[in-house]
Amino acid sequence: MAEVVPVREGILVEDAEGGRLLGNKCKCCGQLFFPKARFCFTCFNKDMEEAVLSRYGRLYSYTIAHMPSTHFQPPYAIGFVDLPEGVRVFAPLKMTEGKPFKVGMDMEVVIEKLWQEDDKQVIGYKFKPV
Amino acid sequence: MREVAVIGIGQSVFGKLPQKTVAELGSEAVAAALADADISAKDIQVAYASRQYNAWCTAQDILKEVGIRNIEMVNVENTCAGGSTAFRGVWKEIADGHYDVGIAIGVESMTTSPIAGKMITPEKDDLDGHLGMSMPGMFAMVARRQMEQHGATVEDFAQVSVKNHRHGCLNPQAQYKKEFTVEEVLNSRMICEPITLLMCCPNTDGAAAAILCSTDVARKYTTTPIRVLASTLLSGDYKEFQKDITVSPLLEKISKMAYEMAGCGPEDMDLVEMHDAFANEEMLRYEDLGLCKRGEGVALLRSGATEIGGRIPVNPSGGLLSLGHPLSASGIRTICEIVLHLRDEAGARQTPNAKVGLAHMHGGVVAGLEHGIVAGIHILAR
Repeated sequence: MAEVVPVREGILVEDAEGGRLLGNKCKCCGQLFFPKARFCFTCFNKDMEEAVLSRYGRLYSYTIAHMPSTHFQPPYAIGFVDLPEGVRVFAPLKMTEGKPFKVGMDMEVVIEKLWQEDDKQVIGYKFKPV
Repeated sequence: MREVAVIGIGQSVFGKLPQKTVAELGSEAVAAALADADISAKDIQVAYASRQYNAWCTAQDILKEVGIRNIEMVNVENTCAGGSTAFRGVWKEIADGHYDVGIAIGVESMTTSPIAGKMITPEKDDLDGHLGMSMPGMFAMVARRQMEQHGATVEDFAQVSVKNHRHGCLNPQAQYKKEFTVEEVLNSRMICEPITLLMCCPNTDGAAAAILCSTDVARKYTTTPIRVLASTLLSGDYKEFQKDITVSPLLEKISKMAYEMAGCGPEDMDLVEMHDAFANEEMLRYEDLGLCKRGEGVALLRSGATEIGGRIPVNPSGGLLSLGHPLSASGIRTICEIVLHLRDEAGARQTPNAKVGLAHMHGGVVAGLEHGIVAGIHILAR
């Protein structure tokens, strides 16, 4: 069986309902980052703590691409989702029958296989309309 | 600090020219600039060259073709703002008094570059790039926000392309001298909704060069030196601090710097040449550069003010959309265009009685940073 690896170490956690994204937070000023930052870009503090991000967010913008990208064949959707804690996440979007994308719509994170890399299955995150 | 002027400009042919080497493209522009300034190659004391792809010793390689050697030469890369960076490099050398005369060159052979006919492959650590982010994708998402926040329509985006292609028809050096209708732009191949092929700048080979000189020495060479009122170059912030993707925090900062340095404001500009890599980008920059208030870019476009003959022509050259975008050349090519208008030598696309013009160049996508991470603005006056 192919080895399963995350698209980046420490970027997501799987749970009973699917999974959540992991960012981090500056212990000094509270600034949140996704993906995790090595230090706080606001106050340069290095003392950071992991933050489990919200499962749901709102679609800030999106596009359906009709050109191939490194790992996706067209058409595929990408977008920015704003999470309630103030983090904007760029992610592939899942196109759902009967739920066309609309700015401001509620979105939910899903953890799934994104692509195959040699003998490894790369898993990552997408957002889908709720 | 000494005042610096542009005394010579030159440009190569722009187009898909894989048969031409970088030295050929670059020296075509350099020779044209030397002839324009009516100056000997021997008078050039310092050179900066910019190139993005497969670059090494670009200045030396180009300048050997015209006999320039044994001087200080610097090669720089700064994505689309590379040309602006080279120009500013020479400007600083002269303003600071190290030299009196220098040349700035921008060159790109896109058709022979490693990205020719391909997508730009993301770096291993570029998470967003691997997840499907691309330049057209980014600008498409910005376009969606422009529609949402500012009431822009796909017809508006198409109109920018229509305008700049119409302008390009008046420019003998444009890659595409062809007019399109709004319908033709909208019906061209979909790239990333709502961005269609004719809303994207083409891949282009080409070079541009400018000869700079301290204003006091410039009188020796020309009666029409074009003064550099402002030379600015700046990099942006982390993506976390760009709350609204229709606003460039970087451009807000650098345009303020440029206007302060020039001692004038956006209302004083007679024309603007800017980075219109994607049609919708031009409307963002109207606002970022202060040509209109925030949120009024759509109205400015619809008013016709940014067309040739309008209140503030934008990209009278045809812009990147019709002229093409040899990345590192564009930052100097835009300055050349401003100089032509200020000298009253722009022919059919001349901005009447142009006294002050602004050249903007902007680019660079780096994972984790605001999109369009480096920008250069130059303000010139006759």
